[in-house]
Amino acid sequence: MKRLTWLFLLALFTAACSSSPTAAPELTKINLPMGYIADPQYAPFYVAVEKGYFAEAGFEITFDYSFETDGAALVGAGELPFALVSGDVVLAARAQGVPLVYVMEWFQKYPIGVVSKKAADITEPADLVGRVVGIPGLFGATYVAYEGLLNANGLTADQITLDEVGFNQVEVLRTNQVEAVLVYVNNEPVQLRTLGEEINLINVSDYVDMVASGIVTNEQYAAENPAQVRAFIRAFSRGLADTLANPAEAYDITKKYVEGLGDERRAVLDASLPLWQAPQLGQTDPASWAKTQEILLSMGLLDAPLADLTAAYSNDFLYQP
Amino acid sequence: MMFAIRALNHRLTTAASAVVFVLLWQGLVWVGGYDRFILPGPLDVVRQLWALSADGRLPTHALYTLSEVIPGLFLGCAIATPLGYLLVKSPTAERLLSPYLIASQAIPVIAIAPLLTIWIHSTYWSRVLVAVIVVFFPILINVVAGLRSVPSELYDLMQVLRATRWQIFWQLELPAALPILLAGLKTGATLSVIGALVGEFVQPRSQGLGYLLLTARYQFKTDVVFAIMLTLAAMALVLYGLVGWVERKLVWRG
Repeated sequence: MKRLTWLFLLALFTAACSSSPTAAPELTKINLPMGYIADPQYAPFYVAVEKGYFAEAGFEITFDYSFETDGAALVGAGELPFALVSGDVVLAARAQGVPLVYVMEWFQKYPIGVVSKKAADITEPADLVGRVVGIPGLFGATYVAYEGLLNANGLTADQITLDEVGFNQVEVLRTNQVEAVLVYVNNEPVQLRTLGEEINLINVSDYVDMVASGIVTNEQYAAENPAQVRAFIRAFSRGLADTLANPAEAYDITKKYVEGLGDERRAVLDASLPLWQAPQLGQTDPASWAKTQEILLSMGLLDAPLADLTAAYSNDFLYQP
Repeated sequence: MMFAIRALNHRLTTAASAVVFVLLWQGLVWVGGYDRFILPGPLDVVRQLWALSADGRLPTHALYTLSEVIPGLFLGCAIATPLGYLLVKSPTAERLLSPYLIASQAIPVIAIAPLLTIWIHSTYWSRVLVAVIVVFFPILINVVAGLRSVPSELYDLMQVLRATRWQIFWQLELPAALPILLAGLKTGATLSVIGALVGEFVQPRSQGLGYLLLTARYQFKTDVVFAIMLTLAAMALVLYGLVGWVERKLVWRG
């Protein structure tokens, strides 16, 4: 009996000694607002989670597919550390005192375009004059991009008939209710091609450089936790680099996160890749911020220029492999 | 005299509750130290109400929303009332239609609202239709409940008096069911505002308070969001009050 007790104590001691040095560090749980439903375009995040990059950085990520503005407000209020938000929303938010800082430009190109049936022969912005163009509504990214496109090409609103069609762009184009529609270049054009339509696509980013979706954080959080911000961006950048290097693997990983995803939407990921590529992943350009602000001002979405536009973004946290 | 005092008392109580509500709201802003984009104070909201009214945006968009709410309410009522009558009078119709009517309430309106625009080729009418869908069921339920609340002895009496079907409806069923029917209409009046707004959210056009709300959210102008919410609440209260007024005129309370 005495021997058994000693054996028990020895086992306890061994267990205690062996477990303490290898105990996994506690991960910081992060709820990440994505701004859209689970989709192949979020592959870099899924890759970063699956390959353990976020865990290595000390984060356990939960994806939250709520609205972009809701995520921005939660980060601004200090309730969440990060969200995916586009540059125009960051500027609109900062104009109202929401302390957001854009710390990584994920989408290097504004992902909006004008798509039309090949037969309509709309290949450049000037071809839109006199046409009926469908837009989801006079709000959000498509509206900002449309105004940017007009602005960059010296076109005016009265030269084009704009029809608000809701989020039914594919249907209204296919049924010839409009001659062209404003879309996300990595989404609706893919659907139209899948449906057998021959299309022309004008990429807004070929004409005007505005700040698209990226990672934002709270000013105070960034000031108090720069190491966490760097770690988060490092983890995501590794996922992004892996996705760009091996899209097939990334798509397979994405299938675990997007319920019911078959091979039919691989084209969404393929169409997204060129929107992310850059010599330095995530770098944001001050000139594109100035352009974005100029467009928002011309649209009346900003009442006045921001007191300090440079405070809205930072390249200080980027990952250099 | 007593009636006048009671009415004055009623108004004073309403005004006092509004004052307490505003004070509590402002107190919450002060104590919580919230930024304006998280919780604007009542003064910020009043300022926005004034600015939006002065530049004409609020009345223009409110009238547009109202132009969807009112047809939505009337159409909902016009469809639900005869259908409710049919369900009460015809057990066959009830057996055939009830499962579908109940199941239809499990379908989220936001899921089909975008499709309505494609089906009927009109954003305006698809928004009205969303309002109709939202108000239809509560009115229908109240019509059925109202008609079933008529005491059977009164039917016997009408039959003894050899009343026609029309006389039974006009002189017995309608007056007897009216209080419950109007209660349903009150619920429908407030729901029609929500219905139209859901329609405007799902099928946004640059008209209506829903569009103004979307733009304000995009611009993080929470004080404007609150100003629009107050306008919507006022709209629902006015409609509710109008139905209440009709109720007071039509329903005799013995």
